[in-house]
Amino acid sequence: MLSQSGGSARNRDVLGLRCLPGECVLQRVLMVRKKLTSREGRGWLSGTLFCTHFRVAFVPQDAPNPPDNADPVLLGDHDVALASIEKVVVVGPNRTKLVTASSSLKFTPEELLLYCRDMRVVCLLFDRLTPDSQVLQMTYTIAKTYQPLKPGSVLSFQNAALGSVEMKQFLSNRSKEPHMNWFESAQDWEHELERCGAVGWRVSAVNERFEMATSLPRFVVVPQRVLDTELKKSFAHFSEGRIPRWSWRHPRGADLLRMSSFQNNIYHEKDDIRNLELILFGGHSSLCVVVELGEDLPSPLDVQLAHSRLRALCLGDVSSSVSVPDDKWLSTLESTHWLHYTRLCLRKASEVCCLLRSGHLTVALQEAEDRDMGCLVSSLVQLMCDPHSRTQMGFQGLVQKEWVTGGHRFCSRLNYHRDSDKDESPVFLLFLDCVWQLWAQFPSHFQLTEDFLLALHDSVHLPLFSTFLSNSQRERLKRTQHVGQSYTRVEGWRDLTFDPGDSCDPPLPPVWDWDLQYSKQRQAAFTQPVACPPLVQPLLNGNLNSDTIPGSVFLLSRGSFSCPPHLPPWRSGNSSGVYRKSHRRALSSEQVPGLERLLKAWALAEFPHSLTTHLGPQGPLDPYEPLLPLLMGPCMGLWRQCYLRGAIHAQAFSHPLVSPQPHPVERLAQEVQQLRTRLAQVSIPKEPTSPETPISTGKRRNLNHNANNSTFLFPASTNQHTPKTMPHTACTNHHTPKTTPHTMSINQQSSGSEHISAPSARSHRSGEDRLHVADKQREHLTSST
Amino acid sequence: MEPVTDVSLLPGEDGVIEKEVIYICPFNGPVKGKVLITNYRLYFRSSDADLTVTLDVPLGAISRVEKMGGASSRGENSYGLDITCKDMRNLRFALKQEGHSRRDIFDFLFRLAFPLSHALPLFAYVTQEKYEENGWNVYKAMDELRRQGLPNNKWRITFINKNYELCDTYPTVLAVPYKSKEEDLRRVAAFRSRSRIPVLSWIHRKNQAVIVRCSQPLVGMSGKRNKDDERYLEMIREANDTPKLTIYDARPSVNAVANKATGGGYEGDEYQNAELVFLDIQNIHVMRESLKKLKDIVYPNVEESHWLSSLESTHWLEHIKLVLSGAIQVADKVSTGNSVLVHCSDGWDRTAQLTSLAMLMLDSHYRTLRGFEVLIEKEWISFGHKFASRIGHGDKNHADQDRSPIFVQFIDCVWQMTKQFPTAFEFNERLLLTILDHLYSCRFGTFLYNCESARDQHEVRIKTVSLWSLVNSKTDFYLNPFYTPEPNMVLCPVASMRHLELWVSYYIRWNPRIRQQQSPVEQRYRELLALRDEYLKKLEELQLSDSSPAPRVANSTTPNTPSSNSSTPSQHCTHLQTHF
Repeated sequence: MLSQSGGSARNRDVLGLRCLPGECVLQRVLMVRKKLTSREGRGWLSGTLFCTHFRVAFVPQDAPNPPDNADPVLLGDHDVALASIEKVVVVGPNRTKLVTASSSLKFTPEELLLYCRDMRVVCLLFDRLTPDSQVLQMTYTIAKTYQPLKPGSVLSFQNAALGSVEMKQFLSNRSKEPHMNWFESAQDWEHELERCGAVGWRVSAVNERFEMATSLPRFVVVPQRVLDTELKKSFAHFSEGRIPRWSWRHPRGADLLRMSSFQNNIYHEKDDIRNLELILFGGHSSLCVVVELGEDLPSPLDVQLAHSRLRALCLGDVSSSVSVPDDKWLSTLESTHWLHYTRLCLRKASEVCCLLRSGHLTVALQEAEDRDMGCLVSSLVQLMCDPHSRTQMGFQGLVQKEWVTGGHRFCSRLNYHRDSDKDESPVFLLFLDCVWQLWAQFPSHFQLTEDFLLALHDSVHLPLFSTFLSNSQRERLKRTQHVGQSYTRVEGWRDLTFDPGDSCDPPLPPVWDWDLQYSKQRQAAFTQPVACPPLVQPLLNGNLNSDTIPGSVFLLSRGSFSCPPHLPPWRSGNSSGVYRKSHRRALSSEQVPGLERLLKAWALAEFPHSLTTHLGPQGPLDPYEPLLPLLMGPCMGLWRQCYLRGAIHAQAFSHPLVSPQPHPVERLAQEVQQLRTRLAQVSIPKEPTSPETPISTGKRRNLNHNANNSTFLFPASTNQHTPKTMPHTACTNHHTPKTTPHTMSINQQSSGSEHISAPSARSHRSGEDRLHVADKQREHLTSST
Repeated sequence: MEPVTDVSLLPGEDGVIEKEVIYICPFNGPVKGKVLITNYRLYFRSSDADLTVTLDVPLGAISRVEKMGGASSRGENSYGLDITCKDMRNLRFALKQEGHSRRDIFDFLFRLAFPLSHALPLFAYVTQEKYEENGWNVYKAMDELRRQGLPNNKWRITFINKNYELCDTYPTVLAVPYKSKEEDLRRVAAFRSRSRIPVLSWIHRKNQAVIVRCSQPLVGMSGKRNKDDERYLEMIREANDTPKLTIYDARPSVNAVANKATGGGYEGDEYQNAELVFLDIQNIHVMRESLKKLKDIVYPNVEESHWLSSLESTHWLEHIKLVLSGAIQVADKVSTGNSVLVHCSDGWDRTAQLTSLAMLMLDSHYRTLRGFEVLIEKEWISFGHKFASRIGHGDKNHADQDRSPIFVQFIDCVWQMTKQFPTAFEFNERLLLTILDHLYSCRFGTFLYNCESARDQHEVRIKTVSLWSLVNSKTDFYLNPFYTPEPNMVLCPVASMRHLELWVSYYIRWNPRIRQQQSPVEQRYRELLALRDEYLKKLEELQLSDSSPAPRVANSTTPNTPSSNSSTPSQHCTHLQTHF
């Protein structure tokens, strides 16, 4: 061990490496060259290589020193966490060898290759002048220190990174990203209802203590007309208690629901049936389509197999250095089925989008457990239809809503502890690939960028984030409870003052705390410099009639509609459902063709008249048109920037390959941004009527927000950044949608286009009958976060 | 009959027949409408108000016209015409069965689509089009050699082929080693297939390494040697003191050996200070069959479930890869100071691909719009790529074994490079598509005939219009807004199946599901430009209304839409930053 840092300073330089508190440098080699990927401009970068008990760090020769009081960053731009390393391979004269903890080398490596779980391959070249012993020492140290994931190793890794007293203290003082919706409190959900203009729904706290369903979030959105007492009875009718609950409303008024499979062996009481029907129909529509996700989509096992085949294909067989011959690349890629599965997911989501845009119905996504494909399809639908979810903050909120609090079993599916091999399945990575496909076909419709998707992809492989280390919100909160909070039956949640000596596990940050992982500069690349303004989310009036009685339920499975007699189960057989006879027969004959037409419109032509052809500078003509991707073979791409990042097969030629200059679009975007800032500055003294205009840059994360929130562009949205307690005038139009003057809806447009932060809904909503319980405790909770 | 009015005919274009037909559209089913045939095109427009289907096919793109069904055949729409095109599509029209209704249209089509087989002139000789610029002036052999710094003390210009006496498929102006004498050239010509002697294509300004092209040596079964040829290659090597002259034989080695049976072959050990590398690129027949297979899987329907393995089985991308990686090797050698010699069998197919692609990688001038025109004029047209035989302009013999999509393959390789280096080329995809469209259309003289001597004989430059006249008269249509010139940049694309893509917007462009849209990136660029102009305007207004003498910001940057794209975005950037 070369040196150990200690003391109370946050960061300290150890031999030129900015160490985390408590981090030890185990080895150091000078004059190492790191191969840069095409994203980094290709070529080689020289610097110093370190191995600590947390990471392999590479510090470029003339890297600028951050200020001493800077917050600790876990990983530098060129670092690899030991937990991300999957294999260590050395290349010597004419040979390649896999190095394990027990290996001994008979030659001196010239090149060190670190194969990472996130499919990066880091290639490091030693200098000829470096003594052999140093090179060998470094190789052995890395081989011995990197941790193959297994029960226990994750915790020791977490401790290595976050376990020091200083880090614990630091992490517990981090504040949560205020510009995104975390979907943790009732207000968060109310705000989402508000944003979507979903009337007829309320936030219920029946599951606040996870008593009704352990895997559901604490708050669920259900029809206003269903009382909590009635609601409680419905949990038993669904597998794991995952009742139909609201996820999102399409601007044209259709609602998207998620649920698990029906419990069939249960007696349906008449009263229950009324409530079940109400829940399923959202209380306002007469038509419900249940979209069966189990049949057409890959199973978790399929996804797991496909992903491991894809990994093997893209990284090659390291130990034998055999990779798939180039002439068999395409067919081997096809036989992984990965692209086929992304296509199936996107197709299913496109079908749902087509249903939703017709308005006047509820679409309920049904999956046996509702914890994998339910999350995936529901999120994809929103990405296709809702411009807000294509912003970075909107997307982060979406992941919180559908995956994190929605109960995706991240921990088991990612199998960090290597204790649930049979459950392992990177469903979330499949989702990220689907998002990338959408992004690749419609890049200008996204505010978030490929860099952001890559950062998220890589973070999934780093077992440090609370986001991915639990299977449900309940587990996540339980963990926090150990560390920093306590929960008592009587008083609800309450914060305890943090005592670092008290607990052994370090507090885990959420993945969205990007400052921990990425420099400001790299975070700036997560969003487009000048994003296309997201679109209006207006309300249509057609669906406000809440007297509609529940009507027909159709099943969409394998691309066709049907009315199976046991759907929903309480309508079947002798249970004498109230609505059975009067509706099903009559409607099925009329509406099935109608529904099928909706799908056919997409399947036949895949919209040759699609929105993109008509795009002017003003954006699509019809803002409700979903982004429907082309799914033909030639249109589905491989996410090369992710899966082929480390590919070593590129020819080794001497000249630099790509100019390091930014793309002209980026330059132009920066220029536009400068103009915006300039404009904002110039216009401030001119508009004394808007007192909130001065841009308080201090709190902003980067220039993007600055630009997006620019007062010149969205003068009415300025009070977004006023303190949380200020009344939000623009929001009043939800109460009186029909009488809202035109200007108000413009206000709505601009505020809808921003990153939604909870404040605007807060004050005036309290009068509504959405939620009456435990307001005080929650207020306490959210303000403390 | 109501005439088809919505089509604007070219000057010199005359309609000859109009007819009610049913177009059997593979995507929308049978469509009723009217077809117009002129001496240049086949035009179809649906009469159905709901569904607008138009076809506009230059007759030059037709490779085959056949009658489908007979007067007595049963079934709906079974009687008509079946048209195979050279540009990746087929067309079927159904006509009324009564009264031999297709006879006249078939006859017209057959005569006009294949004028040379009927002693008629190609449309390029009929058209009366006028353009501001004369595209024939784009390339002048002497100017291009001078641009490269030639002649110099190692290389001289020879006019030995002034009357096409040395080699009838070469241009008149040739660059050869300074030391070589005219009689040397004649003796070398005797030992090279079709007298296509090694001549300079390109010289590296700094290290003086050269790309030299030629045809195979006439070694034959007996293994003949030619001292003059050996000495001539030695002169090439000595010109910049390359330790070893690398000879790239584009063929697979088996093919090279097999060529000995017909009198050809490759350079053996007798060539001292030379190394021979085979590049394994297949011949014209393999390429033709490969593209045929590709057409089968993309037209009319795109193979869905097994797309990638179907694509692999066509081997089209693999051929692209071999051509590209051959060119990369050439470029790499030259950029490290070694002179190379490239040949295949006759030196007009694979050789042209390799030299022109390598030059595109090495010399940024060829990546400009005009430079690219020069490159095609020089390496392909003047050095005798047999366009007439490979494309079969105006010739009814659709099964001719000389036809092959070699030039299409080259353009595909260029497209692959533009994909990998989106800012390195001044021209855009539209230029590549336009070039390929007019490769077949016979509207311009550019791609007609096999070599310069034939072009002279048919007075192409006098009697026809050059494609570059069209292109250079509306350059903004063909410019890449993202072009960032980097004069000394050597491009080195990745030639791996992992990074090559099928050129969907060319090969599958007839499929209505493929969006015919400008690239989303370009679209965003335009949106940003509009935003910038808007902001500049607002800024100017604000500052004008300000009583204080603030500097005017906006006037220096004129609204710069991509259509007036003479300056690059980086220039705008500096403009603005100086003001702030």
